[in-house]
Amino acid sequence: MAEPMLSLQGIHKRYGDLEVLKGVDLDVAKGEVVCILGPSGSGKSTLLRCVNLLEPPEDGEIFLEGKDICKGPGSGTGEQSWNLDFVRQRVGMVFQQFNLFPHKSAMANVTMAPEKVLGRSKSEAREKAKALLERVGLGDKLDQYPERLSGGQQQRVAIARALAMDPHVMLFDEVTSALDPELVKEVLDVLRELADEGMTMLVVTHELGFAREVGDKVVFMDGGVIVEQGPPAEVLDNPQQERTKKFLGLVLER
Amino acid sequence: MSEFFNQYFDFTVMGDHFGEVLDGFFKNLLLFAVVAVLALSWGLILALLRQLPGKKLMPLRGVTIAYIDCLRAIPILGVILLISGSLPYLEFVPKDIRIPHFLGQTDPFWYGALALTLVYGAYMAEVYRAGIEAIPRGQIEAARSLGMSHSQAMRNVVVPQAVTKIPAPMLNELISLLKDTTLVGVIALGEALLIGREVQAETFNASAYVLGCAMFLVICLPAARLVDYLIKRNQGKVARGSHIAV
Repeated sequence: MAEPMLSLQGIHKRYGDLEVLKGVDLDVAKGEVVCILGPSGSGKSTLLRCVNLLEPPEDGEIFLEGKDICKGPGSGTGEQSWNLDFVRQRVGMVFQQFNLFPHKSAMANVTMAPEKVLGRSKSEAREKAKALLERVGLGDKLDQYPERLSGGQQQRVAIARALAMDPHVMLFDEVTSALDPELVKEVLDVLRELADEGMTMLVVTHELGFAREVGDKVVFMDGGVIVEQGPPAEVLDNPQQERTKKFLGLVLER
Repeated sequence: MSEFFNQYFDFTVMGDHFGEVLDGFFKNLLLFAVVAVLALSWGLILALLRQLPGKKLMPLRGVTIAYIDCLRAIPILGVILLISGSLPYLEFVPKDIRIPHFLGQTDPFWYGALALTLVYGAYMAEVYRAGIEAIPRGQIEAARSLGMSHSQAMRNVVVPQAVTKIPAPMLNELISLLKDTTLVGVIALGEALLIGREVQAETFNASAYVLGCAMFLVICLPAARLVDYLIKRNQGKVARGSHIAV
């Protein structure tokens, strides 16, 4: 089997006495779409934030394209001991609250990082940003400021912004949870297209339909561990673990 | 009652000494302008030092916080006296700095400028800090997740947003600064109130420094109104929801 794109091994994360991740192992192949489900507080968002080192894990190893991106505990404190640049330029992230830069237009939101971090020229960055914004269906909103955009539009700008850095892996942290129901689809459609184009994706979501349709693998987390994982049909339709059954029952009841 | 008016509002005395007092007031304005530029810059540097991330930079953060706290806790007059009373005698300091005469100004002017910059830098740092801390954490996280360094995130994302939130408190500090330039009179900078007092010593009449105070009033009153306007405008924006990203 080919080397996984991303491999998490024994990830632990604590906040003081609270252990949020208690040893998580997960392999993600290139082009694979992994949907992570679980009740709130199960550690799924923290897991995503560990992958791009926004919250460096205390213990365990993360291999990205075969490279150990965190040397583990004891190798020093502070950001210098982590391979931040390597990670952040290969891993894009989209947040629940969009986190667009409100003082910048949609276009400038997308061009900022390529210009400042990758040193692309203004015209090159603009050209690429325009193409990306058109791709997420916002070709007519290039110069709008975030406050003029709906939640769904903002989230699509945020996706374009992350894609502008040419990531190899995309992390989606409950990207539709803050949206009005009628705006969810336009964002999920963008995710679906990305998946079709072969992007490697980790998607924390409560959208079971999306997980079933788009996910190559579904991971159910609870209490800081992975309880069950497998193809969507197995995990969603024929869960083996009690906790998974209970959670799915509660979600489907809605 | 007429005794009172003669003592404080004798228009003849005011008229006779208007030119001198105004010259003094220009000193206040010049000192204000110099210190405003320096303190706004120094304050931003302090605020950014205070926000540095990571355990390694803890000592630098600690020193910055100690500096800000101490200078906010010492009377400004004390800082002015300390600097003017000690700097001239520090022999390891180059003479042009020990006894500075830049821009054709006297050394009391520059001792005052240094003291006010040190103190107001600390005040301004607190104002910037309020602005910086008002920016949601998600903004830095988004910037960092796009590969920006901490300083790139501060420069391109946090500070540009922070400064739009603080013009009102900043202006309040600047109003205080203009008034506090009168403190430099104690080390014989010929500013409006010192000249007023000198006139009082000659004429036994306080009207000249009342005139000096009036000059401050003319500048500071509209500025205070402007602060109110800025606060109201900002509240209006918040009410219309433009600061809330939904």
